[in-house]
Amino acid sequence: MPSVDSVSQGNGDPNTPSRTAGRQVGRWFSIRRRSLGMWGFVLNRVAGLGLVFYLMLHLGVLSLLTRGPESWDSFVGLVRHPAFLSLDVVLLAGIIGHGLNGLRVALIGTGILVRWQRQMLIGLGALGVVLLIVSAVLIFTA
Amino acid sequence: MEPGNRRNGGLGWLGQAISGVLLLVLLGLHMVAHHFVVEGGLRTYQDVLDYIRDPLILVLEVAFLVTVSFHAMAGLRSVLLDLGLSATQERWVTRTVTALGLAMVIYGVWLTIALVSRG
Repeated sequence: MPSVDSVSQGNGDPNTPSRTAGRQVGRWFSIRRRSLGMWGFVLNRVAGLGLVFYLMLHLGVLSLLTRGPESWDSFVGLVRHPAFLSLDVVLLAGIIGHGLNGLRVALIGTGILVRWQRQMLIGLGALGVVLLIVSAVLIFTA
Repeated sequence: MEPGNRRNGGLGWLGQAISGVLLLVLLGLHMVAHHFVVEGGLRTYQDVLDYIRDPLILVLEVAFLVTVSFHAMAGLRSVLLDLGLSATQERWVTRTVTALGLAMVIYGVWLTIALVSRG
């Protein structure tokens, strides 16, 4: 178990190999000893797994294109339904959250912006919220 | 996030960081080009064909396919390795995600060629 200090600095290693699988994953959701950096870690993993699933689904659906115009265009008609547009907003939330948080992690991990962690968290967080709201509005109005 | 992860060395982490930053650009372009500048948010069949016949778009989309497949499979691998697997299980995970990633790229390139060569 990394010390509370090391975790709160965002450098903790939650991946101690000796842990059992259940406890490992369980720890992603443990509310104790939780710092912002750890929340970021969990966000990236959960969103990342969701995006892997979506990517597979997306590639699979594209095969409809090989079946010709009727197949694809009727699919396009279906997913323009508001129910699917709402799922698009969820997808975008996952992409924006994973992307910006990943950028934050990359900049800290490579040592480029370590001193500005807090500012970066606030800045990228605000950017993410604005991006999501703007795209959600565009999705439902454009 | 965890450069200190013993199992997934520094190089793997750096690969995720670099491909991740590339994806911010490539996925950004992909999303805008396919869903935000297009009327109705999705291209029709004919629009898709016209779109991928542009050589620059073709290169960008294939670059996106390769980068996202790598990033997704490397990410999946590091999540699985964090479960605390044995060395044999780890090798198995590595082989599986490598095969899956290659399959995604081959399938995507095949699909692209099939569509571009269509009338």
